[in-house]
Amino acid sequence: MNKPKQSLWKRVKAEKVSYLMLLPNVILFTAFTVYPLLWVLRYMFFDYRGYGEPVFVGLENFARVTRDEVFWTAVKNTFVYVFGKLILTIPFAFLLAFLLQKSTRLNAIAQSVVFTPTIMSQAVMALIFYLLFNTYNGEINRILMRLGIIEQNVNWLGVDNAMFTVIMIALWGGVGNYMVYFIAGLTGISTDVYESAKLDGANGAQTLFKITLPLLAPVMKMILLLALVNSFHDMQSIMVLTEGGPMNATNVMFLYVYQLFFPISAGSTVVQEFGYGAAVSLVAACIVGVFTGIYLILARKLDSITE
Amino acid sequence: MANHLKWADMRPSERKDAVIQFIGQILKWLFVGSMCVFTLYPVIYTLLGSFKTNAELTLGGGILPEQWRFDNYVYAFSKLDFGKYTANSVTLAILTVVFSLITSSMAAYIVARRTFPGKKILTSAYLLSMFVSVGSVALYPLYNMLHALGLTSNMVGLALLLTGGQAANIFMISGFIRNVPKELDEAAYIDGAGTFRIFWTIIIPAIKPILGVVALFAFRTAWNEFVTAQVFTMSNPDLKTLSVAVANLRYSANAAAEWHIMTAGASIALIPILIVYLFANRQFITGLTAGAVKG
Repeated sequence: MNKPKQSLWKRVKAEKVSYLMLLPNVILFTAFTVYPLLWVLRYMFFDYRGYGEPVFVGLENFARVTRDEVFWTAVKNTFVYVFGKLILTIPFAFLLAFLLQKSTRLNAIAQSVVFTPTIMSQAVMALIFYLLFNTYNGEINRILMRLGIIEQNVNWLGVDNAMFTVIMIALWGGVGNYMVYFIAGLTGISTDVYESAKLDGANGAQTLFKITLPLLAPVMKMILLLALVNSFHDMQSIMVLTEGGPMNATNVMFLYVYQLFFPISAGSTVVQEFGYGAAVSLVAACIVGVFTGIYLILARKLDSITE
Repeated sequence: MANHLKWADMRPSERKDAVIQFIGQILKWLFVGSMCVFTLYPVIYTLLGSFKTNAELTLGGGILPEQWRFDNYVYAFSKLDFGKYTANSVTLAILTVVFSLITSSMAAYIVARRTFPGKKILTSAYLLSMFVSVGSVALYPLYNMLHALGLTSNMVGLALLLTGGQAANIFMISGFIRNVPKELDEAAYIDGAGTFRIFWTIIIPAIKPILGVVALFAFRTAWNEFVTAQVFTMSNPDLKTLSVAVANLRYSANAAAEWHIMTAGASIALIPILIVYLFANRQFITGLTAGAVKG
């Protein structure tokens, strides 16, 4: 557009209805997205516990993060959780999508069933899983015992098993969600490609590995990115199920950050510290950012190899 | 089905194919069926468990309750204020849906159709916000801000908080608006319609389906959200939503003796959204990827 250049004020005035219509969203965006970020960027340099004046401490909070064992345990747990969740969820989700992609009535029903956890409250279901995985009265132990898979009650929420249990619940909650993403990706592949593969005499497995997977690669990359970023932030169901325990066995980064700001339960040993919490949250956000960056670089490398 | 030929008429190679396909179907449905059981079991456990006694739940028993009793629901509503929590959840869901629809559709329309000074900065900020997240820390300064503004004594503050910046929704809706022919806008403009009139009479009717998706997902968020609602209602228990009230049963004094109350409470929280899902499951499923497909 090569209109004669008007003064900025004139152009603003000409669009005043536009600004008015943007205003409600811009207010919410500024208040709820920008402001907390600025708050974190300021208070991470302060010693502030909610009372008294905040004291400027420079980089002291960050020095403390490097020495904070609970935090680094949480970082380790986060990675175990994220990888455990993805390694189980992504293949199951893909397999389901592959099997259920054709739009038949039965497939549609199965899709809807597997998608159900996505629409339910994770916190409410975490309470139910707390009952199901209970050591003495839980239905899981009872069923496994009856099937002869275990001989005595398993302490699913104990130190050794709690992370496994948390990951199984994440699989339950996530598989339908990623199945739907994969179905969207699969339906994007033109049916012509499949037709010609069929004419060339390709069988099911050949079609899957030689055609579907390579053509799905770009979508797969996006889905993995989404799954990674989302999983790093998961904490709702862990918070209700185990509160990060026992002995921090299931404490993940963002749950630890939450604990630095709000008490979870009477038994919590973490003291509320807002300045330090801000610093920890920034470090956690950076860890996610760096890891996402590494993933994107690796994904691009992979592209250049397969091409 | 490819094998509607009669078995007797088939050549041996066709028979082999038919057998392989048949076995494939059996394996497929064994797998899919077990995934369905895996998915539905906790839900069925909850719904049926809500009619059981505590002893039936903790000591084990049949899948079905020995006797269908509604006592647990009566207890939850009469003794534990679940009526109030339900009303809170409904209020919160309605407010969040309304706020989300109004703010995101207007902003998306302006972003899609108008050029104005500052547009680049705004869309970059939206985009950036989708990748930067400090997590639940944000809740602390936000709660204090809302408190200072007097917005923590009713549901409005929480609904605004759950509505939030909506960057993803704005990109999704503006993607759909770009698919509405611009000639319609121009025709209306010639007829003397202004920016808002065009939005209201041309754009809104054209993008109703995607607004339905936005409403559905806003409803889901508001109905299910736990952490934000928990923080928001910590010092004002009268505003607790169902999700918060149910999750808090975990910490109640005699949690071990109240499994029947927990399943009933959970059912009260689950049944409304399950009913919505029963009627709108296709919209939920296609809506999830609507934004991604439109790019």
